[in-house]
Amino acid sequence: MSFKKFLTATAAATALLAAGNAAAEVKFGALYPFSGDLALLGEESYRGLEIAVQEINANGGVQGEEVVLERGDAVDNNQAIGEARRLISRESVAGIFGTYASSRSIAASQVAELSGIPYFELGGVADEITGRGLEWLWRTNPTAEDMGKLIVEMVVEAIAPGIDRDPGDLRIGIIHEDSSYGTSVAGHQERYGEEAGLNIVTVQAYPANTVDMSSLVLDLRDREVDVVFQTSYQNDSVLFLQQANEADFRPAAIIGGGGGYSLQPTADAVGHDLIDGVLNADFTQYLVNTESTPGLEAFVDAYEEAYGEFPRSGHSLNNYVGAKAILQALDEADGFEPETIKEALAGIDTPFGETAAGYGVKFGENNQNERASMMGLQWQDGKLVTVYPEEAAYAPMRLGE
Amino acid sequence: METFLQVVTNGLMLGGLFAIVSVGLTLIFGIVKVINFAHGEYLMIGMYLTFLLATGLDVHPYLTVAAVAPLLFVLGALTQRFLIQPLMHARDEHVQIFATVGLSTALMNLALLVFGADIASTPASGLRTSLHIGPVRILAGQAVIFCVSIALVVGLHYYLQRTQTGRAIRAVAQNRDAAQLMGINVNWIYVLTFGIGAACVGLAASLVAPLYPTQPTSGTYFVLIAFVVVVLGGLGSIGGAFVGAMIIGLIDSLSGFYIGSDLREVAVFGVFLLILILKPSGLFGRRSLAHVSP
Repeated sequence: MSFKKFLTATAAATALLAAGNAAAEVKFGALYPFSGDLALLGEESYRGLEIAVQEINANGGVQGEEVVLERGDAVDNNQAIGEARRLISRESVAGIFGTYASSRSIAASQVAELSGIPYFELGGVADEITGRGLEWLWRTNPTAEDMGKLIVEMVVEAIAPGIDRDPGDLRIGIIHEDSSYGTSVAGHQERYGEEAGLNIVTVQAYPANTVDMSSLVLDLRDREVDVVFQTSYQNDSVLFLQQANEADFRPAAIIGGGGGYSLQPTADAVGHDLIDGVLNADFTQYLVNTESTPGLEAFVDAYEEAYGEFPRSGHSLNNYVGAKAILQALDEADGFEPETIKEALAGIDTPFGETAAGYGVKFGENNQNERASMMGLQWQDGKLVTVYPEEAAYAPMRLGE
Repeated sequence: METFLQVVTNGLMLGGLFAIVSVGLTLIFGIVKVINFAHGEYLMIGMYLTFLLATGLDVHPYLTVAAVAPLLFVLGALTQRFLIQPLMHARDEHVQIFATVGLSTALMNLALLVFGADIASTPASGLRTSLHIGPVRILAGQAVIFCVSIALVVGLHYYLQRTQTGRAIRAVAQNRDAAQLMGINVNWIYVLTFGIGAACVGLAASLVAPLYPTQPTSGTYFVLIAFVVVVLGGLGSIGGAFVGAMIIGLIDSLSGFYIGSDLREVAVFGVFLLILILKPSGLFGRRSLAHVSP
């Protein structure tokens, strides 16, 4: 009996406290892997969200209330679920931002869905995140599908004309590491490639921790492949580029799919002269034509002021753009009820070229941002610069050397 | 034809790589009879040591072997003395297996903590130069690995056959209790053998690091192949491990080219199973030693 009384008293006190706070601030969850092996880019993603919140708060907050972030550490899938529960039931957040790692997002958003609390995915790329048709999940960033689509588009629109070949005449070889990341991107490359009339001569999977890709290289060489699509992590990107060079296999273009191809240590390991000219598709990065990414410079300034270093990857930028779009939309609404949030998000209609990442924001089917897109990048003189689409290009694409 | 020769050469070079990584395991698995799942992590640690020494002291990666092999010897000996030996008389010898699995995971995560998930690349120091031999080309570093693996196999064979300690090691492998009755300090032999096995991995690491990127999970791929090679060759047979490594390397390379890279593991392990079914003691294993030694 007395325990029950205690509970009631605690609940009443909590309610009072919550009510007291509500006038001044509104709380959102920030669920990222802050420890464990994904911590580096999890933290990097969180910084983007934090800067968006700082910026919004400096301009009067959302609906006059200060936005407060409550961090949750999604170190693995189970903890992602546990932390999502804690944020929703104990911290009573109005919504959750996350998550960088797709598997954590898939696990945690399930909890939010059951509680009817909005979940905003700003960085996970897996198809399943929005593919499950959840009612309370929105995703602002581009996906694995956008990556496959952009790579094919880049071949048809830029590479083939650049080397004076008809896109249909180019022999395409798709190779990918065999986990869900490589397999799903390769699947989209194949599908969009066939739609665009590309001649895909082979699709091959291999384990990412392999120590030898020489047979694969010889096979591609024998098939006279002109363009290689590789979706890979670091180890296999390095091996492929080195062994292709050693077997004297020189395709007209090699296009990576994020992962290992986006990381500076890969370029350092392979050698800057060897990786020169290699193409890639990924989130918007910093060496881009800033006319097509309004606000990017301001973001970098704010980032450097807050953390004392240059952003370590494009993850923070993409989280910043997504979070800002959502918080700005909420500012127009009245209250933070899930239904109100849903209505406010449905009204977002930002055209292409008006966010700091270059893409627009409009939620379409399954609450996926249908205006999100990746960018085409190229390693030039040891740096990863944006080369496609042309209006976003930092430097012209170098072909046929 | 030219491509075929190149594929076969690649297979032999891959075999050399597998051989040099597996020789140490033959000693540990074939003689101490401990299933050491941390073998791959020894390699990973050796590769990081090579990386640190080669970049820190600005010396050729091969020179680091003078420090890496002894350090790995100590690591191996310590593992046997303080992890495996206390468990030697556990009620169930499978406890040792789990101890090495634990060691493997702990070392991998320790490396993740210390070095991060990014790759570390040891300077190639000219070892990635292609040598043209007739119609085929091989890397200088691969050729070195191939030759050193042969030298190591011959050297170890000689050591086990001709020296007093070598005979003691073989005696312990054949029958632990009888060896003890003959006055051999069994625990000491185990510590020594474990150390030599780990030192061989240290040698391998210094040769492998300049050619392959190092990361905390570098060992995971090698450890499985190493077990396959040792079982295929016949437990405790060092020459057998070499032949096993060549077979696995060739199948890996040929199937990768002619069947497809997604099926190469199917081919490798399919052949492995087939050979075991036909000859359960492995290619050069005389008979199972399990019933002689407790």
